[in-house]
Amino acid sequence: MKLSSVQVDAMQELGNIGAAHAATTLSQMLSSPVEMSVPKIRVVDIAQLADNIGDESAALVVFELQGEIPHGGYIIFYISRKSAVRLTNTMLGLTDPDRPLNEMDESALLEIGNIMASAFLDATAELLGFIMLPSPPSLTIDMAHAAMQSLIAQMQEEIDEVMLFSTELMCEEHKIDSDLIMMPETSMLKTFVERLENLMKPS
Amino acid sequence: MIGIGEYYVGSVPMMAIGLGSCIGLTIYDKTRHIGAMVHIMLPESSGRTDRPGKYADTAVLLLINKLSDMGCQKASLVVKMAGGACMFEYFGNNLNIGERNAEKVRAILADNHLQIASEEIGGKSGRTVAFYPDDGGKVTVRSADGVAHEI
Repeated sequence: MKLSSVQVDAMQELGNIGAAHAATTLSQMLSSPVEMSVPKIRVVDIAQLADNIGDESAALVVFELQGEIPHGGYIIFYISRKSAVRLTNTMLGLTDPDRPLNEMDESALLEIGNIMASAFLDATAELLGFIMLPSPPSLTIDMAHAAMQSLIAQMQEEIDEVMLFSTELMCEEHKIDSDLIMMPETSMLKTFVERLENLMKPS
Repeated sequence: MIGIGEYYVGSVPMMAIGLGSCIGLTIYDKTRHIGAMVHIMLPESSGRTDRPGKYADTAVLLLINKLSDMGCQKASLVVKMAGGACMFEYFGNNLNIGERNAEKVRAILADNHLQIASEEIGGKSGRTVAFYPDDGGKVTVRSADGVAHEI
């Protein structure tokens, strides 16, 4: 599915609103300011996925988009392993930046992902006027490319190109860098675009 | 570097990074010192022909045909594969694509009277696979926090 420039603008705005809510919750949890980038929309041929997402070790908290559209795609909280340690250190009051991630970190990452995905979806669903719910989260701390590839392989509609909506969330004080990525199924993307176009129509 | 659904035939080192449920399949000709590698994503092509490397059923035949076009004999082929992990148990409609990919590869290889010399399939972790036709067809596998080891 190709998006027109107007549709891209609208989707960026949608991502902006969602990510802003997610950034606010992250900022509250860290008690420090969190900055966010302009949402990026990338259409990536699966053969070139590795140019966008490498095999570096990262933590990914993954949710399936559910609700009115039962399998709408995925929303992913992506954070490099180093940033993940700094994030949970900040939350848990620890200091060693080189320690391995343990069960406590995993619970913390799941919780952060949950809160951020919920904030993102609440904000976007409210704007669009339909219900989107995150599935229970699934966490993997592994090669980022391998995780994204596994999700793409099990999407409902078989695809050769994947559309990634990503916003970078950064906390300078604690040197934390993360991304919130939405990877919608084509059916979900169509719904987004239709709803956004309705919103933009003069009444 | 071989992306999802891509393949390469030759004698230079080849690599498929970050395999989750995908499979990296390598076939090496030990007499001619060339080889082929493909990065498979799904088990069945269901009739699609535009990306033969993407599907297990078409990818295996693709490599066999490419090598046989170059004059390789089946008796001198060494087949190895890695990948097919299950990283997210919770999601997915028709489960464990990784295992189904591996089964399909095995079945098509068996149909063509080829045996697998070694493999590293399944588990929950991603893998990066490198193939060195110029170094005796060596195949190495590395996981996220591990060092590369030969299979």
